[in-house]
Amino acid sequence: MKSPAGKPTTKLALLMLAMTLSCKAQLTPESLSKSWHAYQDAKKDLTPENEYYVGRSVATNLLSRASYKYIEADAFKTGELGPTTAYVNAVGNVLAAAAMENHRKDDRPSPIAGWHFVIIDDDTINAFAASGGFIMVNKGLVKAAKTEDELAAVLAHEVAHTVRGHAIGSIKKARMAGVYKEMLNNTVQLDEAQLGNLTKAFEGAMDDMIDSMVVKGYSRDTEFEADKVGLKIMADAGYDPRAFIKLLETLEAQGGGGKGGFSATHPSAKDRIKKLEPEVAKYDGKKIPKARKERFAAAIESL
Amino acid sequence: MRYALLILFVSAVVFAAPKAGDTVTIRVLSAKVMKTPKFIGSSAGSVSRGDQLTVKEVQGDWYRVEGTAAGWIHKTNVTEGKVTLSSTPGGQGGKVNQDEVELAGRGFTPEVEKKYREKNPNLDFAHVDAIEKTTIDPAELEAFVTEGKLQ
Repeated sequence: MKSPAGKPTTKLALLMLAMTLSCKAQLTPESLSKSWHAYQDAKKDLTPENEYYVGRSVATNLLSRASYKYIEADAFKTGELGPTTAYVNAVGNVLAAAAMENHRKDDRPSPIAGWHFVIIDDDTINAFAASGGFIMVNKGLVKAAKTEDELAAVLAHEVAHTVRGHAIGSIKKARMAGVYKEMLNNTVQLDEAQLGNLTKAFEGAMDDMIDSMVVKGYSRDTEFEADKVGLKIMADAGYDPRAFIKLLETLEAQGGGGKGGFSATHPSAKDRIKKLEPEVAKYDGKKIPKARKERFAAAIESL
Repeated sequence: MRYALLILFVSAVVFAAPKAGDTVTIRVLSAKVMKTPKFIGSSAGSVSRGDQLTVKEVQGDWYRVEGTAAGWIHKTNVTEGKVTLSSTPGGQGGKVNQDEVELAGRGFTPEVEKKYREKNPNLDFAHVDAIEKTTIDPAELEAFVTEGKLQ
């Protein structure tokens, strides 16, 4: 096919590409403003650095509360991981490596400060993923898992939330409009008013994220996506995908995790099983070797 | 024709990966450079945010690099090109040549966190400071994978 001037399509396309790249090189607040105005989506527009800072403060906000005390806290203070925390971090980082290795184009698989898993000293069933790679899992949910592979299902679901940008995506669009304005104006040094506006937006972004993580939960579709992506991550890492269903069956038998918390922020285990079963059927089951069973039992014994 | 143009344009942008001789800049705070192109295994050294490395070979999403350390690094840990990043993410960098790097110094930055901390002195950032300092050696992770017969 020829363009009206009779030139081949490829040349026209290359010219367009060159023009686009040329514009990109001359980045200005105005050009950014135009290109961003169309979507205003935190998931697309906030950088991994921005994501990290909100996630750090969200994690701090929760971990500073008396109800979010975490186990083996003293080890962290000396730069070490306590034995149970180290085990959970090993499983979590094996999953994170699989997520990074097999990431999709719009995934956010490499938090700039790495992946970190903390066990909250709380017997209720719950887990949370702040942006920036900070993942918190309640002791109750770790204990609900009967095998390392079921624990991997828990962690893979949270890794999937992070990789798919669910926490950062929960920042309201109206909130982002104010952030963009200050981001675009801020070239060298923020003045006091700009810093005040950005800090206000930062607090709002944190509120949105905590609301989705802890209070209201994500949409059902978002949770189903985290299940589906999590299932792939655990299968890619070498775990038995059928363990995800087993975990959900345990949660269902326990009444969905009790009142409030997890059951308030997630679809019912029954609905999740129904959605996930056809996905699990796509994978081959795997036998859990003795060594994996034994190390799981040893690691969670102290909980 | 529109589709042809779109496909050509998209593929040209998406597949513009670095090639041998190009420079990449580390964007994560720290990363291991690996002896083989995989996340779990023996590392050949460490690199830090802002380090600039020369690409010697490309294998899929992995780049064999030389610079402050020599070995394999995954594309998600780097920014393509020679850019100046401050050691603190979000800090003011020097000249930049990519919009994402340009924006790294904007928005929610250490300056904003500092202001937020001043307003909320009851919050204890020592928790996340300590948590994010911990690391897992990828060689230990390899032993964990082998012991558990994963993959």
